[in-house]
Amino acid sequence: MIKAENVVKIFTGRGVPVRAVDGVSTHVEKGEVVVVIGPSGSGKSTFLRCINGLENFDDGHIYIDGVDLAHRKTDMNKVRAEVGMVFQQFNLFPHKTVLDNVTLAQQVVRKRPRKEAATKARGLLAKVGIAEKEGEYPSRLSGGQQQRVAIARALAMDPKIMLFDEPTSALDPEMVGEVLDVMKQLAREGMTMCVVTHEMGFAREVADRVLFMDEGKMVEEGTPEHFFTAPREDRTKLFLSQVL
Amino acid sequence: MAGALKPPPRRLPWMLLLAVILIGLAAGTWGAVKKIDYTWRWNRVPQYFVYKGEDAIKIPFDGRVTDITEKNSKLVVQLRSEDDERVAVKVDKGFINVSQGEDLFQGDTIGFINQWRMGPLMVGLWTTMWLSAVASVLALVLGLLTGLCRVSNNLTLRGLATIYVEFIRGTPLLVQIFIAYFFIGTVFDLNRNVAGVGALGIFAGAYVAEIVRAGIQSIPRGQMEAARSLGMNVIQAMRYIILPQAFKRILPPLAGQFISLIKDSSLVSVIAITDLTKSGREIITSTFATFEVWLTVAAMYLVVTSLMSQLVFYMERRFAVSD
Repeated sequence: MIKAENVVKIFTGRGVPVRAVDGVSTHVEKGEVVVVIGPSGSGKSTFLRCINGLENFDDGHIYIDGVDLAHRKTDMNKVRAEVGMVFQQFNLFPHKTVLDNVTLAQQVVRKRPRKEAATKARGLLAKVGIAEKEGEYPSRLSGGQQQRVAIARALAMDPKIMLFDEPTSALDPEMVGEVLDVMKQLAREGMTMCVVTHEMGFAREVADRVLFMDEGKMVEEGTPEHFFTAPREDRTKLFLSQVL
Repeated sequence: MAGALKPPPRRLPWMLLLAVILIGLAAGTWGAVKKIDYTWRWNRVPQYFVYKGEDAIKIPFDGRVTDITEKNSKLVVQLRSEDDERVAVKVDKGFINVSQGEDLFQGDTIGFINQWRMGPLMVGLWTTMWLSAVASVLALVLGLLTGLCRVSNNLTLRGLATIYVEFIRGTPLLVQIFIAYFFIGTVFDLNRNVAGVGALGIFAGAYVAEIVRAGIQSIPRGQMEAARSLGMNVIQAMRYIILPQAFKRILPPLAGQFISLIKDSSLVSVIAITDLTKSGREIITSTFATFEVWLTVAAMYLVVTSLMSQLVFYMERRFAVSD
């Protein structure tokens, strides 16, 4: 589904080039839930953003369903329409109601008629448990509710893959659970997911595979059991001892 | 601790102070004006807003008055030419110069019609308003396009937009109006109204562009990223996500710009467009009521700009629903 080969992303801040993603190769199969963990600044978010082209990468290849993102003629808009993304800061559209947030891209990008888009949106809002808020503006919602709307908004495009960029990091602790529950449900339904998170509980419970990144490199990858019980690398052991 | 809360500020003493200062200023001005030799003639001003004009009604041919009847408090005069051509004209009662059966030559005055007409001040105000309105639309279109170019990734577009904005903001409007009329107007054979409106619109457009650019850049990056991540292209994201939000934010500075434009439009009087300012100058040449006319003109500008401010204030409140 996703195949990354030797992806390199270099930021040049203050004249010093930083290899934010440094030769990462991995793959995500259809229906698989992959969780990427690692310390801050390890390049995991940047790598995720490379997957849907929000960042251009400097070297390597990323294939989504066989389409090479690095190829000059690839239509990134088409790729992004198939790849859902959920952001740390929700990024709901503040000037649109909850319902319009979920219908807008369906109408504009998928060219669905308003009625069909609204029906789909209502179904998804019910699924994430906030059907009663469809007429509200995002500013009236709690963080957890906003993030669930953001998930519904991404799902409305019928994505083949869902990317989550630290979806619970900006939430108050009591709201983390409601968002994770929605994500768990998605995973059970067989959605292909790639999740950057600091929620080790989620990783252990839901992930099919865990990737550990540090300093732009893929340090270790394996099943949650392997990862949380018998990590191989010293760097992984150190990280886990700090977060668990 | 009790008493830590500040007591609510007392308003009355400060309002009294404000009133005293304003009355003092007015009295001071009044006293100063008293000392100079100036005869105020406010009674001369109203006729320059509206006046009753007399139109002479003339016969278009050689002929005879066949009949005079009264209808709706006007007199209807039937005329017949020597070739049996018939015409009916209306004149006001008491302003008729002919009687039934009278023979007339072409161009003789049959009578007069009195009606209210717009005086030069109102005509000038109207000119100022339509000039500003057309220039505002031009400025908005130019400013929006230029603002978008300013945030574009394309170096050519960005360069063109920057040169436009810098050139316009770095030169005085008065000079731009002269260039638009005497240079560009001569080369491309433009009339003074086109040159005037064009100069104003292009001038304000540069400022609108900066406002638009600032507005777009004030929208968090995440909004564009969220829109793009849903598969929208840049144009769709701008149109549905960024610009609607930016517009709400730039409404106050944009309104300020358009109010400035109304005021700046007074400069087109230098290329002999009879706007409110030029009308004022023309009235002064015939009345010498300098003080009265300029105060009146200022008040008229103030009314227009205040109405604009109120309108924008109302729009801002309407847009605030999603906050």
